[in-house]
Amino acid sequence: MSTDQIVFENVSKFYGEVLGVNRVTLSIPPGITSLVGPNGSGKTTLMNLMTGLLRPSRGRITVCGLEPSDPEKFFRLVGYCSQFDSFPKGFTGFEFVYSFLRLFGQTHRQASRVAWETIERVGLQEAANRKIAGYSKGMRQRIRLAQAIAHDPRVLILDEPLNGLDPLVRAETIALFRDFAREGRHLIISSHVLHEVDIISDQVILLSSGYVVAEGQIKAVREEIEEHPMQILIRCARPQALASRLFEHEHVVEAKVHTDGGGLLVKTKSADQFYLLLNQVALGGFDIQTVAPVDDDVNSVYGYLIGQEETTR
Amino acid sequence: MNPVWMSQLWAVMRLELKKSFFNRRSFWIYLLALAPVLIFAGHALEVSTKKERRASLAARNTGVTAEKMRQVRRGMTMDEVSKLLGPPAEKIATSRRQGVERQNWLYSDGRSELRVYFADEEVRGTNFRGACSFGEDTIVFSAVYQFFFLRLMVFFGCVFVFINLFRGEMLDKSLHYYLLAPLRREIVVGGKFLAGLLATSVIFASSVALQFLILNLHFEPQVVEQYMGQGNGWHHLMSYLGVTVLACLGYGTVFLTAGMFLRNPLIPAVAIEVWESINGILPAMLRKFSVIYYLRSLTPVEVPIDRGVPPPIAMLAMNVDPAPGWAAVLGLLAVSGAMLFIAARSARGLQINYGAEG
Repeated sequence: MSTDQIVFENVSKFYGEVLGVNRVTLSIPPGITSLVGPNGSGKTTLMNLMTGLLRPSRGRITVCGLEPSDPEKFFRLVGYCSQFDSFPKGFTGFEFVYSFLRLFGQTHRQASRVAWETIERVGLQEAANRKIAGYSKGMRQRIRLAQAIAHDPRVLILDEPLNGLDPLVRAETIALFRDFAREGRHLIISSHVLHEVDIISDQVILLSSGYVVAEGQIKAVREEIEEHPMQILIRCARPQALASRLFEHEHVVEAKVHTDGGGLLVKTKSADQFYLLLNQVALGGFDIQTVAPVDDDVNSVYGYLIGQEETTR
Repeated sequence: MNPVWMSQLWAVMRLELKKSFFNRRSFWIYLLALAPVLIFAGHALEVSTKKERRASLAARNTGVTAEKMRQVRRGMTMDEVSKLLGPPAEKIATSRRQGVERQNWLYSDGRSELRVYFADEEVRGTNFRGACSFGEDTIVFSAVYQFFFLRLMVFFGCVFVFINLFRGEMLDKSLHYYLLAPLRREIVVGGKFLAGLLATSVIFASSVALQFLILNLHFEPQVVEQYMGQGNGWHHLMSYLGVTVLACLGYGTVFLTAGMFLRNPLIPAVAIEVWESINGILPAMLRKFSVIYYLRSLTPVEVPIDRGVPPPIAMLAMNVDPAPGWAAVLGLLAVSGAMLFIAARSARGLQINYGAEG
């Protein structure tokens, strides 16, 4: 039994006859892992299964060696900020975080101190004594985040955590996530905003209609998609000459001069071989200004694997 | 008990007490609890007004006694009545219809009151109303308590509070916060239940105490002192308070459990209300599977079923074969324990599906 991994062993969940997720087998290491997929792909189901809010119809789930059926140990380790934008009625931000810390068995003094520290961490200290009912969407998101991280969990699960945040707070929140991951913790984040996932994730799990279609580091996943050669944009002085030089190699399948005439879009079956080749070419006297992969982001990978129409949702 | 469990139980209770006492839904509970208080307040006001009126009538009726007033019979003449009771304190509704002269005379000794109906100077009817009796009022109190307060007010109060402990949070989509905390689900059930029990017990027991106080307000202080000091006053009050708490316990566990299984609270509420109402006509064995059977066995003042009551209603109102006090308490605790056990078992398998899966 792995004590630092989140493990799904052939997990399925059905809501009556409706499929939630099917035959999911995963082993998630520490770091930031993003669950990616359109609405209805099974992201929330997977998170609810991970935290015991749902029981699997089949299979077994362990988080760092613990099962959700043992809540006394499990939830000291795990924090979950769900997508449900709802709160117990009549609470202020402070009372909300404080009251649930008391459920951990903390004393009044301890819970008060920790609640204030956490609220400060998400930047809500000024609004802490106001009723949550009067908060904006972003503030509600942050107070839920505070409640989820207040007990300092080793595994933090966040369902669409950046929804409703303004750009500044979004950047601060991402920095907070990175701090968490740097300390060797798990961060499981769901998102359907793919460029966001690109920025923050160490690894991704791509979901579609309840199935895991790919998992791992995004670049590694991209390289495994053989039917779609990698696209690389090269900014250089003599694109036509560079194109003919590159075509001498078998792994280069296409090279198009950029519409502005200042670069070349190359498709290659092997990124590694292509970069080696490019080094030789540059040493041979070609003036290469920039090299950038065009389609090794989550958006492209998801499009190749699932279909273009779903990535735009 | 593990000290962490104790502190967690208290933390759940703190959260729930706030909701049970101050939630918008609680407004209905306070209204329910207040209804019988208003009834007895109305009764006390009516009795006080009557007392004042009778005293004023009695001032104009010298030598009238209740015994004399009872001697007035149909067929007596006005002269005979005047001879017996003297001139009336008040003559009312004098009229002449179809050639017959009608008059109503009013007498009072200050406590009771007699209305004599004359037609053509002859007594055609009487209406004697005695003084408000302490004994009668205690029976009325018990009847209101058993058939109105327990069966409707406490019953529906518990429906509101206990069914919403889980179902309400499912609707508000806030139950998951409990299920994501490091505490056993049994503690969530226990904490919620104890908070509900405390809230309903405080609200309804306060209502009983107020009703009892108001009921006794209009009696002479020495009568009340005798009832409380040398009679059964304190025993009755304590019994009513105890039965109220037991009612909250019994109905509370039933509705807590119902709330975990059923989406619509009306269905179990109506079904259980019907079951409780027909308790008197159920076979002896089935009668024991109800809360009201034990509660009525514990009520300190029995309500006699009047001969005039139609048989079907009398059957519903009768407490056939009441259980001895100790057996009633044990029976109720056993029913409540069984219900709590089922609720706790069900909480273990509880899943959150608010219907918004991504």
